[in-house]
Amino acid sequence: MSDRRDGPRALRVEIDQQEPMPLRGRFECSAGELLALVGPSGAGKTSMLRVLAGLMRPQRGRVEVGGQVWCDSEQGIFLPPQRRHVGLVFQNYALMPHLSAADNVALAMLHLPTAERDAQARRWLDHVRLSGEQQMRRPGALSGGQQQRVAVARALAREPKLLLLDEPFSAVDQMSRQGLYRLLAQLRSDLDIPILLVTHDLNEARLLADRLVVMDAGAVLQEGPPEHIHRAPRNARVADLVGMHNRFQGVWMGPSGRAGWGLLKWVTAAGGASEDEDMLLEVRDKGKIKPGQPVNWVVPGDGILLGSDGNGEALEARVSDARHLGEITLASLTLERNPQISLRITLAGPQRQRIANGDRLAVRLDPALVHVMPLHPRPPALTT
Amino acid sequence: MDWQAFSLSIELAVVTLLVLLPFGVLAGRWLARTRFSGKAWVEAFVVLPLVLPPTVLGYYLLVSLGAGSPLGRWLLDSFDVRLTFNFAGLLIASLVFNIPFIVQPVQRAFEAIPDNLAEAASVCGLGDWQTFWRVELPLAWPGILSAMVLTFVHTLGEFGVVLMMGGSIPGETRTVAIAIYDRVQSFDLAGADRMALLLLVLSLGAVAASFFASARLVARR
Repeated sequence: MSDRRDGPRALRVEIDQQEPMPLRGRFECSAGELLALVGPSGAGKTSMLRVLAGLMRPQRGRVEVGGQVWCDSEQGIFLPPQRRHVGLVFQNYALMPHLSAADNVALAMLHLPTAERDAQARRWLDHVRLSGEQQMRRPGALSGGQQQRVAVARALAREPKLLLLDEPFSAVDQMSRQGLYRLLAQLRSDLDIPILLVTHDLNEARLLADRLVVMDAGAVLQEGPPEHIHRAPRNARVADLVGMHNRFQGVWMGPSGRAGWGLLKWVTAAGGASEDEDMLLEVRDKGKIKPGQPVNWVVPGDGILLGSDGNGEALEARVSDARHLGEITLASLTLERNPQISLRITLAGPQRQRIANGDRLAVRLDPALVHVMPLHPRPPALTT
Repeated sequence: MDWQAFSLSIELAVVTLLVLLPFGVLAGRWLARTRFSGKAWVEAFVVLPLVLPPTVLGYYLLVSLGAGSPLGRWLLDSFDVRLTFNFAGLLIASLVFNIPFIVQPVQRAFEAIPDNLAEAASVCGLGDWQTFWRVELPLAWPGILSAMVLTFVHTLGEFGVVLMMGGSIPGETRTVAIAIYDRVQSFDLAGADRMALLLLVLSLGAVAASFFASARLVARR
């Protein structure tokens, strides 16, 4: 990955502003890579896209695309959107209501002679699979999914060096969404440019993106491949934002007898540390936390194992709530030893048929997947 | 039928519209797109001719532009120009009186265009003028059309300001509305009747046509 990231078309972003709204972060994206900006509403995802598109000038920052500097506050460089060759698919598509689909796409190619412009527009709309008859319709006479395809075609017609998608799937139904996912996957292989997708849907982000940029309150909290962020969220907020439900508090007790392993004391939400010796877990020690320090810790769903065979100590638990949803089952388990502690698991396949409210079963936490985080992390540094 | 008064009114309406339209489109768009402190005052001044009695407006124009005023005296002394009791004075009164009729509908029309369309245009590579001609103007066109019709019809029928600024000089300042008034004053009700009816039909027809055209333009989207 690192060799591609240095390619001439890679995107490098560094933003640091307080006014008019806080926006802070640093990330990169290589050509052919799809990066998803995720986070709750108001996290600054769309603002970040607006800075990249040139619709908003950051207080301080630098944006470089394909070796060309689009914005550098220190050198007073700020290219307007017209000079950026950026494709932007707006959240509500922002199609021109008075122009046909074909004319909307042609609008992005005003530098070409009319005949060539129209031919190219038809070619792009064919590419996103809009029929010749649909191409002549105005946006108001097209479905949400078709409008989105027009918006994608218009963005591509610009021959962008960077493609930005702002919640592109929010206004289309589940059926057209699947088709659009396929279109996006195809685009990724066809275009050798960085693609940024803003979404609040984590499943969508994990499904489509090579890497995630997790944002909250205007700041980039963590960047990395989805599985990495899921395995090792930088802090409790990131864990919450990527939907890790099994987050607990604890105290780091220091190294255990085994090299590379340490002891974690499980503390209940009520605050008092359990004096029970057995509430100590032996987990991976990365040597970053001092003994006695309060910590947050998480375990991903696939780190919670049913049954008593295998690594890790088995804990007695009772099923407090089991919900069977279509193909999967969501269950909450309460520990017998401390009913204040509950674990949430997702089950699929034959396993789920054995789960019912009130059942008692044994669970184990895979010690290799338990991830311990300092309670008060330092904010991520802007410079590497 | 006083055809002279009628053609004078038409001439006044056409010239008023030609002068006011570019100003109205630019001012309306500016008011729709810009936020600044004191905007409410600017908007209040724009609407003022609508709520002020026409005679009051005409009176102020008369005293500020008349030969007795410093401005009027200076214009007369330096350029031998009079702005009262002639067509030029009539035009100035008509321009001022019609500002709200052109600016307000145009402003509303531009305000109704979503902000992100202009942004989308700039991302597509369109400069400010291209965005104006290819995106904003076509979308605001129904509003601009109705502003033009309102201004035209309103000029045809205006009375108070015109009387204050122009008097009733045949062929020079006697517009159709003043001619009707004069007929009534001289008990020529049949003459007044014909001209009033013509004005009524013309105004109603123009306004109805503009509404019909706007509805069609909007429906085509």
